[in-house]
Amino acid sequence: MIKYHPTQELLISHSGAQLPLSLSIAVSAHLEMCSECTTVTKKITAQQSALFEAQDVSNNVNFSSMLDKIFEHKPDLQVEPKKTAINRISVAGNNYQLPRAFSHFTDLKWSSFGAISRARVVKDTDNIRASLLHIDKNSAIPSHTHKGYELTLLLEGTFSDENGVYNKGDFIWLDNDLEHTPFTKTGCLCYAVQDAPLRFVSGISQALNPLGQLIY
Amino acid sequence: MIVRIAHNSTDITLNNTKFNSLDGEQLKINSWLKLVATKQDKQAFSELFKWFAPRIRAHGLQRFKQEALAMDLVQETMLLVWRKAVLFNADKGKASTWIYTIMRNYCFDMLRKKQTQKEDTISDDLWPVIEQQTPDDNNDHLQNRLLLSHLGSLSLQQKQVVEAIYLQEMTQQELATHLDLPLGTVKSRLRLAISKLKSKLEADLD
Ligand SMILES: [Zn+2]
Repeated sequence: MIKYHPTQELLISHSGAQLPLSLSIAVSAHLEMCSECTTVTKKITAQQSALFEAQDVSNNVNFSSMLDKIFEHKPDLQVEPKKTAINRISVAGNNYQLPRAFSHFTDLKWSSFGAISRARVVKDTDNIRASLLHIDKNSAIPSHTHKGYELTLLLEGTFSDENGVYNKGDFIWLDNDLEHTPFTKTGCLCYAVQDAPLRFVSGISQALNPLGQLIY
Repeated sequence: MIVRIAHNSTDITLNNTKFNSLDGEQLKINSWLKLVATKQDKQAFSELFKWFAPRIRAHGLQRFKQEALAMDLVQETMLLVWRKAVLFNADKGKASTWIYTIMRNYCFDMLRKKQTQKEDTISDDLWPVIEQQTPDDNNDHLQNRLLLSHLGSLSLQQKQVVEAIYLQEMTQQELATHLDLPLGTVKSRLRLAISKLKSKLEADLD
């Protein structure tokens, strides 16, 4: 049961193609798992389309050659069954099938540090980094804090932190300077997006500090 | 970052009545797209083009602030509409929304290309506009209906097995336990039922 969802603002921006790729992947993957948000998003898209249609436009633009160019192409006469590329990954001895939003990323390079494995997915502009993270069962990520936001989409397994227990599909958005210590009993696979590198704050943090760069 | 996300969010809270006047137009747009889809009708496409091109251009200008890119967006969106019209499924939504989403997707890829100089078309993975509407699932749906219509041709025992396993999604073992039958009996009933349904389906297709 999904308890944590993207805000309506995020759904609106996603539907309007206004999010950076890293975040759109997260929202899209959540939608694939969440019928509730899918219903809301359909309505949002219909409204955005209605606004697009209701624009005032001038009819003084000459598009005539464009139409001829388009007619040089032949329309498809029937639907070819689309081959949906299924992106299967194998990490730390586990096999997973990634959501459709990840189909593009077939060349993931995993690096491991103890119980944590990470693969960079996208590096957007504005210092946003997005990675897949795998954490072995019965492991904790050392307590950390961050300057910007951190989004975690739980793709498989469960984990918990000071605020509660998270399940598959949960879309967990943490803002500024919130300290948390995620722990997973089952092991889990997450997609994490954040806009600044982590800084560890617990006692062990000094020794682990390079990990801040490794994780995200 | 958050500020940028919040931007534009007020747009959609506008009064809905504004759009009611489009209803007549919606019907026209739907029928044009259907003509393009079924008959590759150039006249109908020209009408669609006349209606959408200025709007797509205006949207493109808003997003890209460049005339040339806005015109690219018009050309590529309308080319996709022309080529892929057959994928439009009126049961799943309005034609105008379908065209809007094609434009939205292409827009996303263009913006990315501008930012990263990369030629990846990733929007279809994020918003499966085109795939979602493929008759693929229609075929499944149709086949499903056909199969259901043939359930009556099975013996009562065969029907029971098919329904439990394919409609109620029981495992064969669960069903065997439930009916207090050997697993082998369930398996052979299922096999017979499937081969009967298959021959019925094949007869339909001939
Ligand atoms: Zn949701």
